[in-house]
Amino acid sequence: MDPILTTNILNVVYEVSTLAVVVLGLAVVFGLLGVMNLAHGEFVMIGAYCAFFVQTQSLPFLAAVPVALLVCIVLGLAVERILVRPLYARPFDTLLATWGLSMLLREGVEAVYGRGFKSVAVPLTDSIDVLGADYPSYRLLLAAVSIALVAGLVWWFVRSATGRRIRAVVNNRELAGSVGIPVTALARNTFIFGCCLAALAGVMLAPLLPVNPTLGLDFILKSFFVLVVGGLGSLVGLISGAGVIGGVESIVSAFLDRTYGYTTVLVIAILFLWLRPNGLFPRT
Amino acid sequence: MSAPLFSFTGVTGGYGATTVVRAVDGAVEAGEACCVLGRNGVGKTTLMRLLTGHLPLQAGAATFGGRSMDGLAPDERHGLGMVYCPQDRPVFDNLSVRENLTLMASADTDRYAPLLAAFPILEDRMAQSAGTLSGGERKILSFVRGAAEAGQLLLLDEPSEGVQQENVERMAAFLHEGKAAGRALLIVEQNLAFALEIADRVIVMDHGEVVLAGNAADMTEATLAAHMHV
Repeated sequence: MDPILTTNILNVVYEVSTLAVVVLGLAVVFGLLGVMNLAHGEFVMIGAYCAFFVQTQSLPFLAAVPVALLVCIVLGLAVERILVRPLYARPFDTLLATWGLSMLLREGVEAVYGRGFKSVAVPLTDSIDVLGADYPSYRLLLAAVSIALVAGLVWWFVRSATGRRIRAVVNNRELAGSVGIPVTALARNTFIFGCCLAALAGVMLAPLLPVNPTLGLDFILKSFFVLVVGGLGSLVGLISGAGVIGGVESIVSAFLDRTYGYTTVLVIAILFLWLRPNGLFPRT
Repeated sequence: MSAPLFSFTGVTGGYGATTVVRAVDGAVEAGEACCVLGRNGVGKTTLMRLLTGHLPLQAGAATFGGRSMDGLAPDERHGLGMVYCPQDRPVFDNLSVRENLTLMASADTDRYAPLLAAFPILEDRMAQSAGTLSGGERKILSFVRGAAEAGQLLLLDEPSEGVQQENVERMAAFLHEGKAAGRALLIVEQNLAFALEIADRVIVMDHGEVVLAGNAADMTEATLAAHMHV
């Protein structure tokens, strides 16, 4: 196979799978709590800064994973209790509140680390020969971990008792409480889980991104586009949305440049909002 | 005489600032059924939602097994033995019939055996999503789920709605069995004959208030009907 084509295909796979991890966190929280967390991108950003922090402490890269999870569990717990829970069933207020939170988190990180770009060293610097194309092994590993993570979570969601209970709450919150599902605790844990997933993506992506306080904005926008295109109904919608948005951006960026990539994604999202507002797989 | 298993006094509440139910009193002993009757829209379902913890009380109190229900979430009340089968959306539409029955317990449906034998329609549809069932079939599924639970107090909101007569009679038989086993039942009903068949006590509501209450044995269908259409 043509090495350039292979590289492009691998780029699409990488882009789509990492995006899917971020969106999955956002979508699970929206599905269960009905809360669109506009600060979701900031949790990606915090994850990336955890990777940077670990590097400044001369710890191995993987140490960033427990650090990021710990930070996000504490932060998620506080945000859910103080901000999200009192505003259940008030979607517009939640949007404003989480948008405010996102600003607070950006400013907070900026106060500590400044506005400048930080770089995190790539843990694996070599590259692997894939069908004649020389591809960075860290990106390949990242795509593999992301795919495994999403596939594992989907499998768990479909097969486990907890997954079934989450689906039950999404379908019928009142009945779920009355059959004995601790709805409040489940919602809290799901919110924290969504934050942790974002942070995990942030850690993994940190070596490939200019780490700065505003990096979350890009992710929240793209995640929105994914949900607009895929619809909020199902995991299939989520993954196909990630496929369309991540794929198109990556392909157009490769053949033209990143600005065109971004513009195309924006146009697709607008067309979907206009012509097919419920996305490819609407919620039933 | 000891206090009733489940009792409530002055129950008042509704949605937001709107009060739908005013100062409703009631009690159910173990082994007894209390039926709440009334026309559509008089606040029977609101009363059930207030008692199960889905709506906050504006005033009043409820006690179950000697414990105040104040501030307890629906899942905590369930944990104490309060089983609730709601009127509207009685099952999880996106789960299969089997998943609806096994959501909170072991995967086998053995404990449902007598119920499934009485309502074979469910056995045939185990793998089907509950959303594809008819309204009456969903009510049966909800009833079967509730009747098999271990809790001592069963709250049913219009269990017979849309259910065929022969299945309504089977439900009545299981409810009698439950009473004999020491269960307390609080049932909202529109079907007078079914209500009188199982009720020991009756509460008739109108405009969110109790207009008649007493022993079912003292009441005829005609008295009740008269109070339901005032």
